[in-house]
Amino acid sequence: MLRFWRNPEFVRHCRAELRRNRALAVLPVVLVIGALIGLGCWASRASELEAVRRWATQFHREDHLAQFQTTYVRDIWRLFYRWLMLVQAGVLSFWSLLACAQSVSGERERKTWDFQRTTRLTPGELLVGKLLGEPVLAYFMVICCFPMALAAAIGGKLRVSDFVSAYAMIMMGALFIGLVGLWLSSLLESRRGFGLLAAIGLFVLFVISYNVRMSNYPGLAAFSPLAGLLPLLQVDTAPNQPIATIFGQKVPWLVASLLLYVTFGAWLVVMLVRNLKRDYEGMRLLTRWQALGCAAFVNFVVYAAFHPRSETFWVQGDMMTRPTAPTPQDLVKLVVVFNTVILFGIGLATLVPYERLKVWSRRRAEGKASLLAEEGLAWPWLALSAVIAYALLVWGLLAWRSVLGFERNVLSASALQLLTVLLFVTGDVIFIQWCRLTRMRAPLLKGVLYLGLYYATAIVLTIVVSLGSQPFAEALSAVLTPVAAFDDRIVSFRAPLSVGLGWALQCVFIGIMIAVITRRVQRPAN
Amino acid sequence: MPIIAAQQQIETVIELNNLSKEFDDLTAVSDLTVSIPSGEIYGLIGPNGAGKTTTIRMACGLLAPTQGEVRIAGIDVVQQPDQAQQYVGYLSDFFSVYEDLKVWEYLDYFAHAYKMQDAEIAGRITEVIGQVGLEVKRDALIRGLSRGMKQRLGIGRAIIHRPKVLLLDEPASGLDPKARFDLRNLLRGLRDQGTTVLISSHILTELEGFCTSIGIMEKGQLVRSGRIAEVTAAENPARMIRLRWMENSAPVAPLLSASSEVSGVSLDSVEGRFHFSGTDAELAQLLAGLIAGGVQVLSFAESKQTVEDLYMKLSRHEVM
Repeated sequence: MLRFWRNPEFVRHCRAELRRNRALAVLPVVLVIGALIGLGCWASRASELEAVRRWATQFHREDHLAQFQTTYVRDIWRLFYRWLMLVQAGVLSFWSLLACAQSVSGERERKTWDFQRTTRLTPGELLVGKLLGEPVLAYFMVICCFPMALAAAIGGKLRVSDFVSAYAMIMMGALFIGLVGLWLSSLLESRRGFGLLAAIGLFVLFVISYNVRMSNYPGLAAFSPLAGLLPLLQVDTAPNQPIATIFGQKVPWLVASLLLYVTFGAWLVVMLVRNLKRDYEGMRLLTRWQALGCAAFVNFVVYAAFHPRSETFWVQGDMMTRPTAPTPQDLVKLVVVFNTVILFGIGLATLVPYERLKVWSRRRAEGKASLLAEEGLAWPWLALSAVIAYALLVWGLLAWRSVLGFERNVLSASALQLLTVLLFVTGDVIFIQWCRLTRMRAPLLKGVLYLGLYYATAIVLTIVVSLGSQPFAEALSAVLTPVAAFDDRIVSFRAPLSVGLGWALQCVFIGIMIAVITRRVQRPAN
Repeated sequence: MPIIAAQQQIETVIELNNLSKEFDDLTAVSDLTVSIPSGEIYGLIGPNGAGKTTTIRMACGLLAPTQGEVRIAGIDVVQQPDQAQQYVGYLSDFFSVYEDLKVWEYLDYFAHAYKMQDAEIAGRITEVIGQVGLEVKRDALIRGLSRGMKQRLGIGRAIIHRPKVLLLDEPASGLDPKARFDLRNLLRGLRDQGTTVLISSHILTELEGFCTSIGIMEKGQLVRSGRIAEVTAAENPARMIRLRWMENSAPVAPLLSASSEVSGVSLDSVEGRFHFSGTDAELAQLLAGLIAGGVQVLSFAESKQTVEDLYMKLSRHEVM
């Protein structure tokens, strides 16, 4: 990473993307766009000045006009700077995501990937080369833009620290988004279709994650480069702006973004380095222990980013926040929602290829492999992840007890709520594992779609039944879906009968799926 | 399973031990064991779907075997891929090149990717470009090259780092006859420099004349393996002799049947063939006997078996 300019993969991209003719064509384009932005800013401010002049003449407020004129030139520079930085941020992040999201999948499609895999480049070197090399043209544009941005910052009398921080934010965001794109492309066999849609979806997600700053997790808005960039560009100067917090302590947005990018980026790097040089069929994102660590880490972030003191509400179309006093149950519900996603993600990350499962099954029959083995089924590890999630929930409730209060009953009820989620997620993950053993194409996607169909059917059925009997509909939804995890009727260690029926049904389903999988992997190969 | 040259004192550079690969319900390669000594050109032949490509992909570390091990120059490919890959050059059947690079840039990229010393890279690129006959295209963009030129560039990429082992999967597909001829010469040259080549093909004439050893694969299993002469000898203890004589000569059949080493006689009026299991001296004696017996012999020659003959004889022509 430190000597990336000597990285062969980076050099390859530079040679291919930055040939003299292309570079010479890009430079004037960037200059023209910059000039157009500058003209636009000047025109906007000039028309504003004209309006102020008219208003001042009409209402005899020459003092206001004089004040406006004293900052007139500086404000044009500032507006120019703001737009230049936003355009650079937008272009660099979108380009990085799109280029990186087609990187590995594109090489697989073009059949050049195998040759890279047989070289002596390490997965880390490939990662750095692609991360910086794929969007190298966008980085070149930023370099071309830099003198204009510097001139605008000087003209706008901006602080050097703000200027440096803004560029740091843009670079950090682009690198992280590029890393996400690279991770996505490593999971895909082709760069067309789903990959492109997923990349665009991810970009939208990054941008709109900025709005999370109004929720109980304001710090997670720092995933969006906008969270750190907009305050630096002084775009939103309204008072009482939301702030990023870690365990309730204020943290600058730049630091919050850095923390999120570095920690989550580290997990992406672990997955990429582990899998980049593997065959597509043999990929497994994380080892079992890494998956356990990842589950614990994300749970930890859930508690660290929690900010209980504000609530969003709307008054005549305006979004506002006010202090609230959430209960421990509220936190538990949030944690259960997060853990539904975490456990499902961990389950998907630890799915085992058919071949490795067969090897595990044979070794297990010989007494040489345990239930917790790396190549075995994921369910014991999901259970362990849930145990860790519960342990962290206990810790989280204790950590936040001065703000939320503490109720002993919540501990037992939350155990049952997590159990509900665990059973349903385990059933779903084992179903997808079974899909991977069949001959269906894109088994992962189809498995998820089948699950979506099942839950949609269950919801529609519940709605139809609710027209006749509400209690029966609630019981039905508790049996068919994990919605009981949010059922307030779970108190202490007591749960309604329908919830128990739902658990029993899931246990039977899991048992059947394990038996089917076991029989399939024990079938001799032809 | 057969192991070729096990007793030879030559260094073994490719070792495939009890190698198996399963895809879902299919066993693509089953319990394959082969040792290939240094300097061999080993042809892996078999029908499509026999497991040749899977074997080669496992040998270069692209596929992890379900069971067994691969050693290249004594290094376990699965355990130490980075170490092993410095000794391996690989070319697949269908491949692509980076179209937006120049020929020399493409080779330069791979030379650096194989971590060659900076000082030797420029010289080596020139050398390889010469070996694959792309001197005039050195500074041309790859997208402007013909398919055959790209194939040659691919071969250049595979040999840029002077690998001890070259793994070629159907390397001649897409090459014109001249380019195939050049490829053979190039491989012979590499063999003379000590490179060991494992080459797969289902076009048997492609391997004829320059392979020193062969392995015949069917349904994921190695049916036969060894030096061509040894495999031939094992399959045909008796040599096939073709004979032609003048019309109205003395009858040939009684003279041949008098020899106990002769079998499988098939004759018509002026030519025929038979199997002979004796020594060279006994064969010379038989020829002398025929001439002495009044047969006016026009030609008398041992018929060499081609790789294709051997394959047709050994193969059950089964695919998975």
